Amino acid sequence: MLAGRLLVPDLPAWSGLVIGTFGLIVALVVIAQRFTWIMPWYYVLPAIVFLLTFTFFPIGLTVWLAFTDYSGIRNGQLNPVTTTDIVELDDTRLVIADPVGFNCADLRNGCVDVRAQVLSLSSVTVPAAAYANGVITLEEPLAPGRTVVEVELFLPDMGFDFTASVVGVDGADLLLERPMPFPPDLEAIRVSIGDRLLRTIVAEDGAVLTLNTPLPADFDATAIARYNDYGFIGWRNFATIISRAQRSLIPVFTWNVSFALLTILINTAFGVLLAVLLNNPDLRFRNVYRTLLIIPWALPNIITIQVWKGFLNENFGAINRVLMLLDITPEPISWLLGDATTARAAVLLVNLWLGLPFMMTATLGALSAIPRELYEAAKIDGASPLQSFWGVTAPLLRTALVPITLTGFAFNFNNFNIIFLLTDGGPAVEWGTATARGTDILISWAYNEAFRSQGGFAYGLGSAISILIFVITVAVSLVNFRVTGALKEVRNT
Amino acid sequence: MIPPRRSGFAWMGLIALATVGLVWLLFGNLPEPVIRDRFVVIPQGWAYILGAFVLVIAGIAASAYWYGVATRPGRAVAYAVTMGTHMFIWGVILAIFYPVVYLLAVSFNRNDTLAGALPREGNLLVRSGVLPNPADFAYVQYEKVLSQTNILGYQWVVIALLVLMALALLGLGIARKVFPITPHRADRWSAWLGWGLFLTTAVLVVSITPSQFYGVNEAGERVAASSERVIVLYVRNTLLVSGTTGLFAVLIATSAGYAFARMRFEGRYQTLLTFVFVQMFPGFMALVAIFWLMVRLDLLNTFTGLILAYSGGAIAFSAWIFKGYLESVSPALEEAAMVDGATRWGAFYRIILPVSVPMLLFIFLLQFIGTYSEFILANTLLQGQENWTVGIGLRNFTTGRFDTQWGALAASAVIGSLPILIIFYAFQDALTGQYAAGGVKG
Repeated sequence: MLAGRLLVPDLPAWSGLVIGTFGLIVALVVIAQRFTWIMPWYYVLPAIVFLLTFTFFPIGLTVWLAFTDYSGIRNGQLNPVTTTDIVELDDTRLVIADPVGFNCADLRNGCVDVRAQVLSLSSVTVPAAAYANGVITLEEPLAPGRTVVEVELFLPDMGFDFTASVVGVDGADLLLERPMPFPPDLEAIRVSIGDRLLRTIVAEDGAVLTLNTPLPADFDATAIARYNDYGFIGWRNFATIISRAQRSLIPVFTWNVSFALLTILINTAFGVLLAVLLNNPDLRFRNVYRTLLIIPWALPNIITIQVWKGFLNENFGAINRVLMLLDITPEPISWLLGDATTARAAVLLVNLWLGLPFMMTATLGALSAIPRELYEAAKIDGASPLQSFWGVTAPLLRTALVPITLTGFAFNFNNFNIIFLLTDGGPAVEWGTATARGTDILISWAYNEAFRSQGGFAYGLGSAISILIFVITVAVSLVNFRVTGALKEVRNT
Repeated sequence: MIPPRRSGFAWMGLIALATVGLVWLLFGNLPEPVIRDRFVVIPQGWAYILGAFVLVIAGIAASAYWYGVATRPGRAVAYAVTMGTHMFIWGVILAIFYPVVYLLAVSFNRNDTLAGALPREGNLLVRSGVLPNPADFAYVQYEKVLSQTNILGYQWVVIALLVLMALALLGLGIARKVFPITPHRADRWSAWLGWGLFLTTAVLVVSITPSQFYGVNEAGERVAASSERVIVLYVRNTLLVSGTTGLFAVLIATSAGYAFARMRFEGRYQTLLTFVFVQMFPGFMALVAIFWLMVRLDLLNTFTGLILAYSGGAIAFSAWIFKGYLESVSPALEEAAMVDGATRWGAFYRIILPVSVPMLLFIFLLQFIGTYSEFILANTLLQGQENWTVGIGLRNFTTGRFDTQWGALAASAVIGSLPILIIFYAFQDALTGQYAAGGVKG
């Protein structure tokens, strides 16, 4: 992939995937002719390639990121905002004009071991006339004989500055390394002119920086900018989670477990009730009833959950109007914006509506698997219908329901959609934090830390939480496998 | 054997009359509604409704019991239970359908806001806002959300073809029940129509482009479409992503599932075990890493990137299901083919794949429906509005800068739900079958 970009820089990065795949196919044909035992692997190979690239690699990367301080302010990119003038230069030692703007405090070890870009000349800000397909046309061409290094563009659609390398200059046209995802603001374009050198800072003391290697003698260093380097920080992310556990991990985890458990309990209770009623062979139209009752399953939950948000509105939501009409509550309930309890109740209510059809269908399946002869035998022995329910149906149903409820638990444990789309984790509570609120579960908390937290996007911390979720999910699934014996089946066959 | 007692009929009639009378009395004495906090309230209304519900169930059950006594006394209790169950189930159906009915009603209502003043007269349910006012019935919301969708001439032809084939399929289904068509021939026709529908939909989905979505201002110039008026584009995007993911999963997972089911090789158990665990990891847990990867591959904000991100889990899951299915298929057919000189691949390609079409369809549908409702990965990877999926597009209604337009939201929600609703009910048995058969496994 990298080699491809070095040879032909115009190619998009994903072309590496395409070229690699073709190369792989050629190689595979050659290998197959030599080693015949490899054939079974060829059937599995496409699946394995995809799993490695888009599942294992991200999982591995997540584990690695969990031990780094990768975040919005430490994203590995060059930070043009830190550009500051070099006041004094002496071999590897240099003094910068603005140590506050250079902002070493944002990095884990100050600026030690951080890459820096030394610029030989300053930048100019000029207006541009047009932008199209990776080419910026300036209003006037730049003075000849100057090397344009890069441009800094403001993308109003994304709301931040984008630095792009310039790979060619033709009159007033600047050819960018790659097209911008969104059109840039043309009014003020910062053009960096001159040469740049990459150095690593080995020591930092206020305004005095020490570089790893001296700059060449003919290099007229004028300014320096540092990278937002991130790096390995060991268990610190986990330590952060533990130290803030009182306000985030513990309440979130407790609610997460009780949410999944309560959902399963409530849904199973109602599901079993409906299924037992529908399993009555005398009941006419029971297939019609079943078809009607699974409507919440047949609608995409990504839509229905958002519609429920309207139903649960405090002032004009349908739910409050029904509750008030029937005088069930003395005053309208602020479901989603009130306190944590009502928001949690709302989540459970909507999840019951969404999950009931599945539980009902699964239970009906389990009931239909109970042989009729057992009931007949019970009847001959003189059991009443109630006795045969408790003696035959209940014990057999219990065994059949264990894997269903465990699957449901594992699913709801990470049910991001309902939390994010219904309550968005809210409401804020005084015993939580800005990212771990009243109805946040672990996965939505991780999402908030990674993509929405106030102090910049803490990807590392989010990844650390994801790992905790991995562990829990695997544990639940292992229990499930033990119960269903799915793994034994794999080994035996 | 207990002899039937004719007097049961009298009791049945008496109880039925009494039930009707009591319910009538109950509703006749409903307290006058009052206004509290801008809500219409019937004081103690819950007691009346609960009373009526219990009364109706008990009354019908008792009538059924006496009917049983009059006809088949041994089954009298069963009759009572069954009739009571009917009534109870109808209560549940009403409760479950209420949100759906309300959504439909809002989408066919003239008002865009739900916060407006309640009507002063009419039915109690309308006055209290429990149901939107039927007097305000209008198609305006649908006209609004479709107003900036510009269908091209040939696309109308495709749509007409689609509708015709759907009608033909529906007609065939009815005809099979009414006329004695040979099942074999009917099956073949419906298979042809089904494939035709699938391909036509694919053509339609691929042919729609974001450039077809624009408004026209007073001066007759084209203006960019509003993000709340392009539900058709969102549906098209979602169908494209879900459909490709499903096809991809089927394409890649079948050969892997076949190898696991039929071949014995070193490392099979370990690989299979890995697949089992991988299919349990929700892909979005590695969200940060996937985002990082897609930035590096220049696939951010592309459907390709999103489809690839979905594919990992989809493939492992599909391979696992397909392996389970093949183990229930007898290997005799392939063995016979291989004795006759077919290669392993030939046996897989010519014997197994044609036999497994229903299973492959099931895997496709499962992935299709699953990715249709996926939110978090799509929301993170797709940033440009023209690439949004249904879920992100709808969320924009409630989180946008303006007051939520509930009418437009409801109409969009209905349009966005239709594809899945149709697919789910068309393939209901296949989709719920694995649970309904009672053989659920982790």
